[in-house]
Amino acid sequence: MAITELSALLKGMAGLELLSEQGYRLDGRKAGELRKLQARMSVFAQADGSAYLEQGNTKVLAVVYGPHETRGSRAKSLHDRAVINCQFSMATFSTAERKRRPHGDRKSSEMSLHLKQTFEAAVLTQLYPRSQIDIYVKILQADGSNYSACVNAATLALVDAGIPLRDYVCACTAGFVEDTALADLCHVEESGGGTALALALLPCSGNIALVQMDSRLHQDHLDKLMEAAAKACQDLSKVLDGVVRRHLEEVSDLTKH
Amino acid sequence: MIKTEKILHLNSSKGRKVRVVREHYVREQVPCGSSLCQAHCHNVGKVLSSDVTHYVVPDVGVVRDFLEILEFRELQGVILTQTVYQNIQHSRGRRIHNRLRTLLKDPRHDCVLFANEFQQYCYCPREKGENVYSAAVWYHHHLAGLQPVVMITEDSDAISHFKLQAAHDLYSSIAQTLLERENEGGEKVYTEHLPAEVLEAGIKSGRYIQGILSVNKHRAQHEAFVRYEGSASKNTELNSDVLVSGVKHRNRAVHGDMVVIELMPRNEWKGRTMALTEGQGEERALEDTQSQPMPTGRVVGVLQRNWRDYVVTFPPLEEVQTQGRNALKILVVPWDYRVPKIRISTQQAEALQEQRVIVRLDSWESTSLYPNGHVVRVLGKAGDPETEIQTILLENCIHVSAFSEAQLREMPVNSKEKPWQVSSSEASSRKDLRNSHLVFSIDPKGCEDVDDTLSVRRLPGGKRLELGVHIADVTHFVREGSLTDLEARSRATTYYLADRRYDMLPPVLSADLCSLLGGVDRYAMSVLWELDAETLDVCTVWYGRTLIRSSYQLHYELAQSLLNGEQVEVPELKDLKDSLRDQKLAELLLALETLTRVARHLRAQRDKGGALELEGVEVRAQLDEKKNITALVPKQPLEVHETVAECMIYANHWVARKIQESFPHQALLRHHPAPKQEFFNPLIDSAKARGFSIDTRSNRALADSLERAVDPQDPLVNRLLRMMATQAMSNALYFSTGSCPEEHYYHYGLALERYTHFTSPIRRYADVIVHRLLMAAVRLETEGALAGNKELEELARHINDKNRAAQQAQKQSTELFQCLYFRDKDFLTDERCQADAVVYAVRANGFLAFVPQYGLKGAVYLKDREGRVLGVDAEGQCEWTSGTLQKYCDRISTCTSAGTHSFHLFDHVTVRISVEPSRCHADRLHLELISNRPHGSLQPETQTAARGRSEMVQEVMRRAEDKSRRPKLNKEEKQFRQSKTPNLYVLLQEIGELSLLDLSRCETGTE
Repeated sequence: MAITELSALLKGMAGLELLSEQGYRLDGRKAGELRKLQARMSVFAQADGSAYLEQGNTKVLAVVYGPHETRGSRAKSLHDRAVINCQFSMATFSTAERKRRPHGDRKSSEMSLHLKQTFEAAVLTQLYPRSQIDIYVKILQADGSNYSACVNAATLALVDAGIPLRDYVCACTAGFVEDTALADLCHVEESGGGTALALALLPCSGNIALVQMDSRLHQDHLDKLMEAAAKACQDLSKVLDGVVRRHLEEVSDLTKH
Repeated sequence: MIKTEKILHLNSSKGRKVRVVREHYVREQVPCGSSLCQAHCHNVGKVLSSDVTHYVVPDVGVVRDFLEILEFRELQGVILTQTVYQNIQHSRGRRIHNRLRTLLKDPRHDCVLFANEFQQYCYCPREKGENVYSAAVWYHHHLAGLQPVVMITEDSDAISHFKLQAAHDLYSSIAQTLLERENEGGEKVYTEHLPAEVLEAGIKSGRYIQGILSVNKHRAQHEAFVRYEGSASKNTELNSDVLVSGVKHRNRAVHGDMVVIELMPRNEWKGRTMALTEGQGEERALEDTQSQPMPTGRVVGVLQRNWRDYVVTFPPLEEVQTQGRNALKILVVPWDYRVPKIRISTQQAEALQEQRVIVRLDSWESTSLYPNGHVVRVLGKAGDPETEIQTILLENCIHVSAFSEAQLREMPVNSKEKPWQVSSSEASSRKDLRNSHLVFSIDPKGCEDVDDTLSVRRLPGGKRLELGVHIADVTHFVREGSLTDLEARSRATTYYLADRRYDMLPPVLSADLCSLLGGVDRYAMSVLWELDAETLDVCTVWYGRTLIRSSYQLHYELAQSLLNGEQVEVPELKDLKDSLRDQKLAELLLALETLTRVARHLRAQRDKGGALELEGVEVRAQLDEKKNITALVPKQPLEVHETVAECMIYANHWVARKIQESFPHQALLRHHPAPKQEFFNPLIDSAKARGFSIDTRSNRALADSLERAVDPQDPLVNRLLRMMATQAMSNALYFSTGSCPEEHYYHYGLALERYTHFTSPIRRYADVIVHRLLMAAVRLETEGALAGNKELEELARHINDKNRAAQQAQKQSTELFQCLYFRDKDFLTDERCQADAVVYAVRANGFLAFVPQYGLKGAVYLKDREGRVLGVDAEGQCEWTSGTLQKYCDRISTCTSAGTHSFHLFDHVTVRISVEPSRCHADRLHLELISNRPHGSLQPETQTAARGRSEMVQEVMRRAEDKSRRPKLNKEEKQFRQSKTPNLYVLLQEIGELSLLDLSRCETGTE
C-alpha cells in the first residue's frame, strides 16, 4: 500500500490527475482524441482571405492580405520570392483574467516568428517575387494549443485568399503523461507542467514545417510523442479539407443563383 | 462524442474569483466493468463478478463517511462513480483519496470505478444535488435488469442491507463521532493552524521549517523533536533537531506527522532533560548529560497527517464515571507512549474493558484537548500473549493475513499424488549442474527454507577452482505482477517473531519448491567464479539460471565436525557401502576444506579493507535471549558459519557489481553510510575509562582499535564496546543507484564498494528484485519492463520501512517473551531473577547496565522518586537511604550515612530482575541493584559455570590474538606459494573446537 501511496503523492504534487486510470482525460476525451473543430472561411469581405476557427474552446480569427507590393522600405523585399509577414495577437478578454496585451511582447513576437517560419515552408513564395503576404492572427479565446489553432486558421485563410500552397499546413500539440501521448492539449493539460510539443505538418507529403518543444523529455519517448502529434495532424487535415470543400460548395451555390 | 461545457468558479492565484469555462465531452460507450454486461462493453482490468446478489452504488456522503465499511472485503459488487471519486479527491485530501485508489486497484476487492460523468445519459450538469442516481439508473438499464442495483445514501435503513455485525458496530461508532463533531464548540485550547499557502510561503522564505515530528518516548508529554529536513532553509546553525517543548507548542501534531514549525527567539530555547526515566536503557546513549539549550520551536501547521491505526486500552470503569457529564466520551490510552490519549464516543465501554482495541483517529479540533477517534476492531484481552503479539504487529504496521485462495491457486502443486517435476523446456534452457557439481547446503539444524547452496571443485587441468553459490530461483515461480508477487512486495520480508514467523511467500514455495532441499531437483540462480587455484584471484564469473540437485543438506555443527576430522555420520551416506561411503565422504571433506580456504582468503581481503566485526553483536544478544528464554540449544558460532557467510557476502558483492554495471541508474543496491563521528563519543569516553583509545576515523582504524581494546580480566568489556560501536552505526539501507551519488554506494560495515542482497529471495523481497535485475542483465531480454529509478527508489524505501518494522517487531516480541518468562517467577526468591550486570553508561540518577546472561539492557536507578539514594553497606548489600548522588564522567557515587560508594564503568554488579506490569502499554522489565559485587561470587552453583565460562573466554582471547595475526600469515602463504598451510589450518581448527568464539559473527551473511 505504501508504494501506491507514494506514487500518488508524487502525482498529487504535480497537481491534477491528467489521465485517469481508465484512460480518460480531464475533459472526458481519450488520449488520442481531438477536440471538436469547427471553422468558417471568408468571414470578412474586405480582406483577401479570412477564416474563423474553433478548436475546442480556443477561438481564432485569421486574416490574410496579399500578395501585394511590399509596403514601407523597399529593402525588405526579396527579389526571388514573396515576404511573409505574420502578426499574432491575443484579445484582452481571451483568458480567464482580463489583461492588456501590448503588441510586440516577447511571447507574441515569438509566436509571430514561428508562424512566419511555418508558412514560409508551405506557401509557394517564389511565385510572387518582390511582393508581400500579410497574415494576421488573433486569439479570441485561449484554451490551449494556441499555436496549432493559429496555424490551422491561417491555412484556411490562405486557401481563402487563393494563395498557392504546397499542402494544407496542419498543426497540433501533443503532451506526454505517464507513458502515454495526449493529442491536442487543452489549457489545463498544458499548464499542468508536463511536456508539450507543437508540430506543424504538411500531411500529404508528411514533411514537417515546424516542430517546437520547450520542456524536457526522455529521448526514448520522443518518437512516440511525434507519432501521436503526426497522427493528430493527419486527422486534422481531413477536417480542414472538409471545411474547405463545404465552403466551396456554398460559394458555388451562391454564384449559381 | 458530444461536446458540452461546464462552468466553474475557481479562485485564481491572486485569490480572486474567476469564471472558468471548460469543455466536457460525453460519449455513449463507457465501460461498465461488469461481467454481466450485455452491450459488449470493452472492459479492461477489474470486472465485477456476476455472482453477487446486487450491485451497490454509494453516494458521496456515504463514501466520505463510511469508506472504512466499503473497505471490508466481504462487500462485493461496489460501483464507485467518478463523481464520488472526484469529490473525495477534492474535499477529503490526498490520504483518503489514496485509500480509495488502493481500494480500486486492489484485485482482491470487488469494486470498480464507473466514469459516469463521461457517459452521455448519466451526465448531469453540475448543480446542487447528485448525479449518482442517474448512474444507478443507467446501470439498471445497461444490465437489462439482470442484477438489482442498490443505491446507498446516508440512511441507516440502507446500511442494514449489509448484514454485517462488524460493519454495524463500525457504523455506530462512526456515526457517533459525526454526531459529536457537529455539536462541538467551546473555547480554543490550541492555536489554529496556519493556512497551507502561508505555510508554503514561509517554508520557501526560510521562516518556517518543515520536518517530521518525533515524540520522545520517555517524555511524551514534554519533548518532541523535529528532524530537520532538506536544505530549503539558509539557517546554517540549524543542523541538529529542533525541540518542540510541551503539548501546547506541539499544537495537535501527532508522532509521525509532517509538520511546519516556527523557531522561537533564542532566549526561549530550552535544553533536553537528561535524567534517566523509565525504560531508557535501550535508547541510544546521548552524548552529554548537561543539557545545553537547543533550537526550540512551535508547530504552526501540519502539512501531512500520518495517522495510522492505534492500539488502545480503555481505562477502568470507575475512572470513566468520574468524568461526569461526558459519560459517553472516554479517554483511551494508546499502547504507543508517543501518541496522546484519544477521545472516543462509544456505548460499548463496558464490554471493551480489559481489551486491546484498534482505534482510528478522525480529527483534532483546536477546541479539544485530545484528538477524536472511533473504535474499529477489538483485538483481544490485554495481557494475553496472542493479543500482545497482534498489538506488536499492528503497532509496527505489519499486516499479515493468510494467503488468499487466488494467490494459492497461482502456485504450482506438489503433492504425493501429483509430484512437481522439472519441465523439459526449463531443463534445456538452464545449465544442468546435477551431475557435474557436488552441491551441498549448510544451514541451521531443522531449517526448512534453504535459500542457498554451495559447490566448489577443481576444474580439469588443476589450475583453477570453481566456486559456486546457488540460490533458490524464486523469480521463476513468482512472476512479476502476479498476486503472490504483490503480496510479497507488500510484506517485503518474512517476519520473525520470538515464537513464530510470518512467511513472505506461501509455504508451498518457501518450504518446498523453492527450498533447495537435498536429493531433489531444484531450479536455482547461480554465480560461478573461476578462481586461480593458487592465488584465488577471480578469473571469470558466470551468472545464470541452473538446475541443481543438492547432495548433502548439512547443518553447521555437522559440517564443523567433519572439518575437524571427527567421526560423524552423514545422514545421506548412512545406507551406502563402506568403501563407497568413504569415497563420498572424502569428496565432501575436500570440498569443505577448499571452501574454508577460499572463505578465509576472502575474509582476509575484506579485513584489509577495514571490515568490522560488529553487526553480529546485536544478533548474538538475541540468540542469548532465545537460548535462555525459550531454552533452545545454544547456537554456537563456528568457523563454518563464517565460511558460509563469507561466500554469501561474496556472491552479493559480485551480483551488485554486475547489476550496477548493467543498470547504472536503476539497480537496487544496499549501502551502509559511515556513521557520524559524534555518535562515537560515548564509545570513546567509555573506552577511555578503561584506558583504551578508540580511533574512529575510518572503519579500518575502528576495527583495529576495537581489536586491541581487550581487557584480559573481563571479556565483557570488549563485547560492550563493540555493542556501543554498533549503536553508533546507522542502519544499512537499500537504495536505487539512480538516486544516490556514486561515492555513497560504499558499505561501511562490510568494507565493500558495492553490496546488495541476492542470497535469500525466499525471505526478502529485495533479493527477488535483484534476481530480476540480474536476469535482465545477463539475458538482455526481459519479460516486462524493469522498474525505473523513481519506482525502484520508492520500493527501496518501502522495503527499508518494512525491514525496520520487522526488526522492531522482533525486538518487541522478544521483550514480550522476556517479560512473560519473568512474570511467572517470584522475583524475591527465585534465583533466576538475580543476575550479574555490567555498568556501561552513567546518567544523572543512575546507570545503564547490561545483563549478559539474558542479553538484557536496562536502567538501574540509584535515586528513587522520594529522593532517596541507594547506599552500599560493608557487605556490598544495597539499601535505600537518604543521601546524595554525584555523577562524574566515568563513575557515579552515592554518598550516604553508610559511606561513599562509586560505580565505575564496566563494574560488575548484581541486579534483581522483576516485571513492571503496565495496564495500557507493554510490560517492562525492571532492574534493581541488590549488590555491588559480581553476582557469581554469591551463587556457588552458577559460580562454576561462570568460572568455566570466563576460562573459556580467556582462552578465546588468546585465540583472538592469534586470529589477529591471520592476515599476515595469509600474506606469507601467498608469498611462499604454499598450497596448503597445515599449521594455520590446525590453529584455526582449534578455535573451532572451542566453539565459543565469542567475537566471530554468525549471521553476517543473513544480517
